[in-house]
Amino acid sequence: MGVQNGAAIDIAGLTKSFGRAKALDGLDLSVESGQVHGFLGPNGSGKTTTIRILLGLLRADAGTVRMLGGDPWRDAVALHHRLAYVPGDVNLWPNITGGEVIDLLGRMRGGLDRRRRDELLQRFDLDPRKKARTYSKGNRQKVALVAALASDAELLLLDEPTSGLDPLMEAQFQQCIHQIKQEGRTVLLSSHILAEVEALCDRVSIIRLGRTVESGTLGELRHLTRTSIAVETVQPLTGIDALPGVHDLVLEDHSARFDVDTAELDAVVRRLAPLGVRSLTSTPPTLEEMFLRHYGEEETSGAEATS
Amino acid sequence: MTGTGMLLRFMLRRERFALPCWLLGVTLLVLIQSTQSQRLYDSAEDLAKLRQSIGGNTAVIAMSGPTRLLNTIGGEVVFEIFAFTCIVLALMNMFLVGRHTRADEESGRAELVRSARVGRRATLAAALALAGLANLAAGLLAFAAVAGTGLPIAGSALFGAAFAAVGMTFAAMTAVAVQVFENTRPAYGAVALALGAAYVLRAAGDVGNGTLSWLSPIGWGQRTFPYVDDRWWPLAIPVAVTAVLGAAAMALLERRDFATGLVRPRPGPATASAMLGSPLGLAWRLQRASLGGWAAGLFLLGAAYGSIGDSIEQYVADNPEVAEFLPGGAADIVNSYLALTAMTLALTAAAYAAVAALRARGEETAGRTEPVLATATSRAGWLASHLTVAAIGSALVLTAAGLGEGLAYGLTVSDAGQIPRLIGVALGYLPALWVVTAVAVLGIGWVPRAAAGLAWTAFGYCAVVALFADSFDIPGWAQRGSPFAHTPRAPLDPVSPAPLLVLGAVAVALAVGGYAGLRRRDVGY
Ligand SMILES: Nc1ncnc2c1ncn2[C@@H]1O[C@H](COP(=O)(O)OP(=O)(O)OP(=O)(O)O)[C@@H](O)[C@H]1O
Ligand SMILES: [Mg+2]
Repeated sequence: MGVQNGAAIDIAGLTKSFGRAKALDGLDLSVESGQVHGFLGPNGSGKTTTIRILLGLLRADAGTVRMLGGDPWRDAVALHHRLAYVPGDVNLWPNITGGEVIDLLGRMRGGLDRRRRDELLQRFDLDPRKKARTYSKGNRQKVALVAALASDAELLLLDEPTSGLDPLMEAQFQQCIHQIKQEGRTVLLSSHILAEVEALCDRVSIIRLGRTVESGTLGELRHLTRTSIAVETVQPLTGIDALPGVHDLVLEDHSARFDVDTAELDAVVRRLAPLGVRSLTSTPPTLEEMFLRHYGEEETSGAEATS
Repeated sequence: MTGTGMLLRFMLRRERFALPCWLLGVTLLVLIQSTQSQRLYDSAEDLAKLRQSIGGNTAVIAMSGPTRLLNTIGGEVVFEIFAFTCIVLALMNMFLVGRHTRADEESGRAELVRSARVGRRATLAAALALAGLANLAAGLLAFAAVAGTGLPIAGSALFGAAFAAVGMTFAAMTAVAVQVFENTRPAYGAVALALGAAYVLRAAGDVGNGTLSWLSPIGWGQRTFPYVDDRWWPLAIPVAVTAVLGAAAMALLERRDFATGLVRPRPGPATASAMLGSPLGLAWRLQRASLGGWAAGLFLLGAAYGSIGDSIEQYVADNPEVAEFLPGGAADIVNSYLALTAMTLALTAAAYAAVAALRARGEETAGRTEPVLATATSRAGWLASHLTVAAIGSALVLTAAGLGEGLAYGLTVSDAGQIPRLIGVALGYLPALWVVTAVAVLGIGWVPRAAAGLAWTAFGYCAVVALFADSFDIPGWAQRGSPFAHTPRAPLDPVSPAPLLVLGAVAVALAVGGYAGLRRRDVGY
């Protein structure tokens, strides 16, 4: 379980097309060793495609991809000894029991920890004796999760690992990931569940249309979005609309509501102060607003982020 | 039952390709048999001779039916073809009812249907109505085939009615089975078992005093003795049984929840056995049931062929003038019969060789290759696992076929040496089977989406060349692509290792070529 310094995953300018459709279009992604990295983006933006390239299942058209110091396509088998994977769509063999699947996948990866496996089964409340076809969606997901978490892989690639899990199981999952983080292992976590991302991730990358649009810590990303301001002043409000970074302004004589790019907040407040502020409320962007803005088109997102 | 009519129309639409194919198939079987029989036994003496030679041959009786049918030419047609077409018809009914009931429930499609304004019983009622229409069509087509080729109308009508009645019995049986079992696989298994039992009971009854035949739906149909006695009353049995089974299915439906059966699937082991820890262990686990089925089927087919071998010999012994025309005399006749049947068995086994190799692609499209390749399993290891099962499985299936034929033929001629001899003959086709497997692998590597099409085209080509080369006058060069054309026709021709080694080398080359394609392509789409 060697924790190296530097990047566990390093992707630059990655492109991948399926026929005429471009799934990845110059994607960059860098995941530091020992970190939990959130991988976000709207449906069809290319998250699963990226992870499949990291697994050596798909062949990149162009760009460089390094993972754990190797080439995912060429060194697939050697790298797979050191990673565990939870697919987004868990497809299991209908006539094989969940317990058998966990053992099988573990052994093919190169051995699994019996004690940890049994503990995880308890933790996720999963009956290992049921045939896979008789599992519910959530329980199928748990089979894949237990199989991956029972390993001591230094890198975990998790593609929407908790879709279909109930809140209790979600909490168990988060505990597991915290523990993995403490052990110094690396996690790439693709997810649509923002609370989960907020609770677990050190850094996040947001992609859209196969391209990275933003990458950084949650704090840094917040800084890049807008804050909603409602203000009432003694003197009539003028010249606000001319300020840089102000959007969606609703102006009456002595009051205004608008959004402002968080980077420009300081300048705007300075402009307001001489007008005699009677009241001022500022609402930091919620996580949802932040992502909606990054997911959607630039123009429409502003309107959505206002409330 | 609300919505039954609408569902029935929808089902007919879904069946517009598959059902006509099945119906056409059974009609052709009847049509060909009727023409052929009437040509072969066109005089009363021929028929009498046939009665004589078959009368004492229990194997033929067990395969076909009661000898009383041989009293008229129409009865002879029933004797030859009825039991066999009943199997096809029963399978048609099984898949028809299963597809529209349990299979839809299993896949979740039925949930959408049931959430609409559709009664609980509507799906089953519509499926049984669909089967009724299909059997009606089968009966009418069979009637048209026999009556159209000149057999008496009254007997032909009974033929068609008996045919439809047997089919409907199996439809109703399937309707019950799909209530009992939660999945189509065991439900089909149960019906297939009942079908096998129907055939065996009928065989035992026809060879013995006839009592056991009355326990078999096929027996009920045959014992109307069309063209001989033309009696309709035995059909009351399948009609009554169908009604009882249909009512039972409806009653069971009322007692069970949606998407469950009466038999809950048993829990399995909580941990994997030592076997299930490698790609090969997985491939074996996935394919062993299918392999067992194919081996059992080919054993039975081999046994059926083997059991007639002796009567061919007898026939030649009774008619020495026939043997005079043949260079090798009587011995050659049996050998050419054995060579022909061995090749037919090997061709059937070639279908297994294709199925087993294509399983790899099936796993891939089902998304189940991804988790395997995400472990420390190489593409070569994954492909090789399924390939190994296909290659060794082909040998096992051929061995089973040879064993069946050798055992049955050996028993009739009291010669245990026939067992190793005919196993050897069958295994001579192993390199040819490997070539079929390797063609599928080549497809999987380079044209994954067309892999199944490629493999089945290769199989079809082999079958056409092997079975119809002479009747269609296929030129020599056009036959040369088939591995079967290069396999010596043992035991008629001497076996030399050279062509077999070449075929083996071709198979290896094709498989390696397929792997080269797999190595550079995307997996999982
Ligand atoms: N095998 C394939 N053939 C053709 N197009 C594909 C294939 N796989 C993915 N795509 C396309 O590539 C794009 C990216 O898909 P991908 O599955 O990577 O998205 P995603 O970000 O994982 O989405 P989601 O959040 O819905 O899981 C989509 O437009 C998809 O339609
Ligand atoms: Mg995805």
